[in-house]
Amino acid sequence: MKKRLYIELENCIGCRSCLAACTQCGGHEERNRNYVYDVNPLVNRQTMPLMCLHCVNPACARSCPAQAIQVHETGAVLSALVEKCIGCQNCTIACPYGIPKFDTEQNLMYKCDLCIDRTKDGIPPMCASVCPTNTLQWLTDEEIANRKKQFNMDNGKWISSMPYLEGETNVKVNLPGILQGITKLF
Amino acid sequence: MQTKTVNNQKHQRSINNAFASHFAKSMFLAVSGLAILTFIGTRMFTHVDLNLYGYMVGTIIFLGGFFYRFISWGERPPTKLLIKKGMKLLFRKSTPKTTVNHLAVYEFIWNRGIYRWTQHILIGWGCILACLVTFPLVFGWMYFTMDDTGYYNIILMGMEIMTVPADGIIANLSYNALNITALMVIAGVSMALYRRIKNMQARAEQTILYDFLPLYMLLLISITGLALTFMNVFLHGVGQPIMSLIHQWSVIITLIYLPFGKLAHIPFRPLSIFARNYREHYAEQSMKKCNVCGNEFVSDEQSKDVVAVLGINQIEFQTKEGHHLAELCLPCRRKYRIAQFSGFPTHDVKVKEANQNAKG
Repeated sequence: MKKRLYIELENCIGCRSCLAACTQCGGHEERNRNYVYDVNPLVNRQTMPLMCLHCVNPACARSCPAQAIQVHETGAVLSALVEKCIGCQNCTIACPYGIPKFDTEQNLMYKCDLCIDRTKDGIPPMCASVCPTNTLQWLTDEEIANRKKQFNMDNGKWISSMPYLEGETNVKVNLPGILQGITKLF
Repeated sequence: MQTKTVNNQKHQRSINNAFASHFAKSMFLAVSGLAILTFIGTRMFTHVDLNLYGYMVGTIIFLGGFFYRFISWGERPPTKLLIKKGMKLLFRKSTPKTTVNHLAVYEFIWNRGIYRWTQHILIGWGCILACLVTFPLVFGWMYFTMDDTGYYNIILMGMEIMTVPADGIIANLSYNALNITALMVIAGVSMALYRRIKNMQARAEQTILYDFLPLYMLLLISITGLALTFMNVFLHGVGQPIMSLIHQWSVIITLIYLPFGKLAHIPFRPLSIFARNYREHYAEQSMKKCNVCGNEFVSDEQSKDVVAVLGINQIEFQTKEGHHLAELCLPCRRKYRIAQFSGFPTHDVKVKEANQNAKG
């Protein structure tokens, strides 16, 4: 059963468990690859996570001169292969979401690989497995479709893709209802 | 349209017109080059070691795979661009330093871990030194003759460069060069295999075909090579003919495999020097200011190049505010996305982004 990362942005309470969990994933060498942002830092405490959305047509891989960024058969856009990455940083400029991180000392880019050692076997990625508020979930397409119905958001405000993202992504994102002035039907 | 016609006319006068494809041209030039060097090195083919002809054929098949793989790779838009600009910037003052750093002492691997650096130095330099000995022997660029009993003449490219006593240090180093490199490679490969078996992070991602096969192939080459020495020295040559065929087979298979697996990083790693030069040179020229916060984050040239490359791939990240997303610095680009999610312009709030690095 193919599962996806599904993000319900408004649930985020800014605990940054996902960042801490990310550091503990095999192959991540104790450095996190995701972000949590304050939406309006001077006014309120609302936060939102920002993960690699694993584009169907990834700009990072398209702009890589070394073919170091590979797309896994599950659709995950993998981190740079350590022996291939030549350190040009094209990917960091190309990514529309600013996700890839670059280590100048190691001359190496690293980015979210959706914990490929886990997700290739159907185990949720580290971030989703620790998220205490169900901001990050690991769901099948069917379950995601049910959410869509349940939230009664069939009004163009459901953002799994355009115009809120730059293209089709493998990670599905749900637009926050509260910030849009809409009440979700739980 | 106009420019295209002009280009075509230019092509018609070029030497490229003599060849059906880039592949044909590269193959022709490489094989001709080898033949000429061999003609000179072997003093007009009088000193060819026919015992090694299998390696010669293997090398030519390797060249076929190599050009096939790397010409198709070089046709990718970002690669083509980087190679073109990298060639132009090849003679920067910092190039020798970068080259030594990236291709000889591997400082960036040291920063990834001393264990990994040690294994890479052993495997890398073991292979490089072995190639420096093997290929000149195969193509007859280097051979030994004996005029006076007990003294070897070392002939390099047809020129006698040295006469050494047959039991001296240099002679012994020459006989044992491949044994020494074999021991280096075996030590390095054993370290790599140990890491791949024990290290949980490596275990998470490795695959047999991509990560283990090249290690096994190098191990096979080294062990069969050492076995040849063992059979000659201790067994009076028993089994040596068979073992030399096994050794030859393992080397040729590895050569043919080289451009297609993990070992492909050997011939293509020099591109990291191009990348470094490219970044350094254009950063000195002019830096791109972020369209939102005004911080300089990348060279103007690279920003333009990435936008162009994405354009070739039909990817346009034009925002409704009228800039390309590649013109925003990374924190602003992330905040801009949060702004798209929330409807609130986070990127316009003049607050430095919070620390995004968790302590592992």
